[in-house]
Amino acid sequence: MSEKPESYEAAVERLEQIIDRLDSGQAGLRETLELCREGRELVTYCSAELDAVSEGLKELRLDELAARLESPQP
Amino acid sequence: MRRRARVSLIGEVTGLSRSKAQAYFELRDAEGAVPCAIWLNELEKLDLPEEGLRDGFEVVIDGGPDYYPGNAQASPSFFFRATRIRLAGEGDLLARLEALRKQLRSEGLFELQKQLARPRLPKTIGVVTAESGAARRDLLAGLRRRGWAGTVIWAFAPVQDRRAAPAIGAAIQELAATPAVEAIVVTRGGGSLADLWAFCDETLCRTVAMLRVPVISAVGHERDSTLIDDVAAVACSTPTHAAEAVAPLDCLAARSALTRSAAALRRAGEGAAGTRSRRLVALARGPARALRRERIALNQKTREVRASSARGLAERRAFQRRLASVALSRAARRAAGAEADSRREALRRAEVAFRAHEPERTLERGYALAEDPAGEPVTSATAAIAAGRVRLRFADGRVGAEIDKDRSEA
Repeated sequence: MSEKPESYEAAVERLEQIIDRLDSGQAGLRETLELCREGRELVTYCSAELDAVSEGLKELRLDELAARLESPQP
Repeated sequence: MRRRARVSLIGEVTGLSRSKAQAYFELRDAEGAVPCAIWLNELEKLDLPEEGLRDGFEVVIDGGPDYYPGNAQASPSFFFRATRIRLAGEGDLLARLEALRKQLRSEGLFELQKQLARPRLPKTIGVVTAESGAARRDLLAGLRRRGWAGTVIWAFAPVQDRRAAPAIGAAIQELAATPAVEAIVVTRGGGSLADLWAFCDETLCRTVAMLRVPVISAVGHERDSTLIDDVAAVACSTPTHAAEAVAPLDCLAARSALTRSAAALRRAGEGAAGTRSRRLVALARGPARALRRERIALNQKTREVRASSARGLAERRAFQRRLASVALSRAARRAAGAEADSRREALRRAEVAFRAHEPERTLERGYALAEDPAGEPVTSATAAIAAGRVRLRFADGRVGAEIDKDRSEA
């Protein structure tokens, strides 16, 4: 996986495919190692996505956001 | 003109004002407005709420066209003269709602939002609701229960009166224009259909249908059905359900699943390398083991060959020794004359046997041998008759004899 996954759900779907393939025991050594590498990257990506929504719920107000955008930048 | 047909109109009261004798307002719906007037004495006789006629009321008015000729200060105008006004009942609103629903469905506006991809794990969501209200609290609680702790952008708007629909529409559009917002929730608590009427607003519903950001509606309670529910990507019965719909992924469960996936990958990686390397080591040991086995077998053979050749030599030596001893003993016997004696004895025995078969020995025992004149033995009666005359040979000499064939016996 050299490219970033399209979305969390796409990453999870691919990860499930990889684990199914590995569990089947039909992958050769080269394929297994390649799948493990791709899987680890997907786990890292998914973990980062989960981290992004785990750091404490943040609340913003649209009117304040709009005011901030409209006010001249310092 | 005032004698023209009486009709009923339904719409929202806007721009209400009063003069000394009349009340003026516009009756508005999604398509436009009609200027209306009613005599105050008639208005006061109507069965309206205590506060009287107010802006934002959904009403049904009966009446017909009327004309004001104008004066020096005022322009002439046409308007709708209301003779009776009543608040729109559930039935009136439902009839309007059904007509609108039919219209929007026929335009395919119910399907547009449902075709949008909804993220399972949005990082930022927009929420349109009343600033004070249980819906806001319930939605937050629902999000927290799922372990979701991203960013919520609140767009507060009135959710019940004539200002509600345009304010909600504007808030939704602003949220949709904010790049970080991945999904929008529109929510408010339950109420009568009149209370929820803002969420049946045609303009609002058309706005929602055309948005490219998925909208989750949670307006009213389970049995309430507003038009925004039809055009939204998902319609939920409560703010709690809306929390589940906007963040479908249970983050806590997802985290556990991800940990399991990571462990499965680690096992697969280590297992694949480990198993194969062990197999390789075993394979690498194979030839060495085979070689060792062959070497052992070869050594055994060599030992056997050596042993057997040693045994062969020994046997041959023993044989030769036996041969030599026989030759030596024979030589010794020859040297002692023993063999000459035995040969002489054998010769003697042969001589005795031979002599026993000589004819003379037989003649000595009293037998005679008949011979023809040529000296050849006559060995049968027939030969004797044929010969006619024979000589009889005795041990001590020969005598002639005539064969009397007449007295011969067979």
